[in-house]
Amino acid sequence: MRLELRAKSFGNQPVLGPLTLSVARGQRVALLGPSGIGKSTLLRILAGLDRSFDGRLTAPERLALVFQEPTLLPWRQAEANITLTTGATPARARALMAEVGLAGHEAKFPRQLSLGQQRRLSLARAFATDPGILLMDEPFASLDADTGARMLDLTEALLTRSGAGLVLVTHDPAEAARLGATALRLAGSPAVLG
Amino acid sequence: MSDRPLFLRRSPGLIPGLLSVLALLALWAVAAELAENARRMPSPLAVALRVQALAVSGELWFHAGMTLSRVAAAFGIAMVLGGVLGLWMGRSRAADHWLNPGLVILLNIPALVVIVLCYIWIGLNETAAILAVALNKIPLVTVMLREGARALRPDLDEMARAFRMSPLARLRHVILPQLAPHLAAAARAGISLIWKIVLVVEFLGRSNGVGFKIHLLFSSFDVAGVLAWALAFVAVMLAIDLSILRPWEAGANRWRHDEA
Repeated sequence: MRLELRAKSFGNQPVLGPLTLSVARGQRVALLGPSGIGKSTLLRILAGLDRSFDGRLTAPERLALVFQEPTLLPWRQAEANITLTTGATPARARALMAEVGLAGHEAKFPRQLSLGQQRRLSLARAFATDPGILLMDEPFASLDADTGARMLDLTEALLTRSGAGLVLVTHDPAEAARLGATALRLAGSPAVLG
Repeated sequence: MSDRPLFLRRSPGLIPGLLSVLALLALWAVAAELAENARRMPSPLAVALRVQALAVSGELWFHAGMTLSRVAAAFGIAMVLGGVLGLWMGRSRAADHWLNPGLVILLNIPALVVIVLCYIWIGLNETAAILAVALNKIPLVTVMLREGARALRPDLDEMARAFRMSPLARLRHVILPQLAPHLAAAARAGISLIWKIVLVVEFLGRSNGVGFKIHLLFSSFDVAGVLAWALAFVAVMLAIDLSILRPWEAGANRWRHDEA
């Protein structure tokens, strides 16, 4: 995956300046910086969700995104949330659910799961696409210390096993270090990679 | 609670509902008694006997069937076209700006005008009848579905795009479940409106159906006959509401409840 960004602005307000970012399979990168600097905007550009920017993006076939919130379909059961969204087989969905500690919860609706469980389901869903690169937007924010640490361990294990690359948006350098990700800092206005 | 029979626990409104219907019947019986004119104000029993006679002769089933098929056709057309238009107008601001004036105009044209114009322009035939009914209903479905489409969750939309869900899968698993309450409301409001308009259409220009029969009975001032046809058809529409629309609505809302 490679992004050559010349500029990104919202209306007349420039947000991101010229920057180049490339991530290969197996490579891990963390985007750090204070709130509002444009980290999430950059991630949305990488995910192909925001196409109104000046620059060029080459993205791999299979990308997966883990959002700040679990973003599950509340009207579909846990297993269907993986299969319907990603096209994974039910067997693969169940195996991934077992891997994130959700065995036995396949038939539950999201609201019957705790927030920690919902986030693990969202992680399992991301890996069900067998992504070349995994994009994560502050996935450990607003979790209590134990749950956050457990999510970090799970993410690390799944990344290592699948060999997927990672772009992690976070404000916490410790998360980047835990996942062995190269820390890149966004700074300035419009923000560039320092 | 637990010693009450199952059907009472499932539908707690059953007893009050039945009692209120009985009270209405009693009120009607008293009114018929006071009116002292069985022709202008027949008793509930007289009307019930007429319904029975119509059912036995088979006339009820034929004409109610004709009316019901028109209701079904107009309902289907209105739900699909109104749904598509509403979804489009709710999702695209440009579509909303262009189509909204036409929608407001259609909403305010009296049903009777649409019916008369359809009969004049298309002819006294089935196409004109069904189109006239559907045209009366489409704007209402559109407005209700537009509200639903405006309230669609943007985060789920982005999730579906990020995971590259196919348009069909997005419609079925992301969009329609969010629209289900609006669809159900539009369907239930729609079906009662549609059958009333179908009767007018039949009254004015068809040679079968409940509306046609009421036209004949109107010319002979046969109130018992008018009531018999109307009540028999109300019963049919209630049965459809209870047996099809409500169970479907309950199924579509199952995920909202905690028990698995």
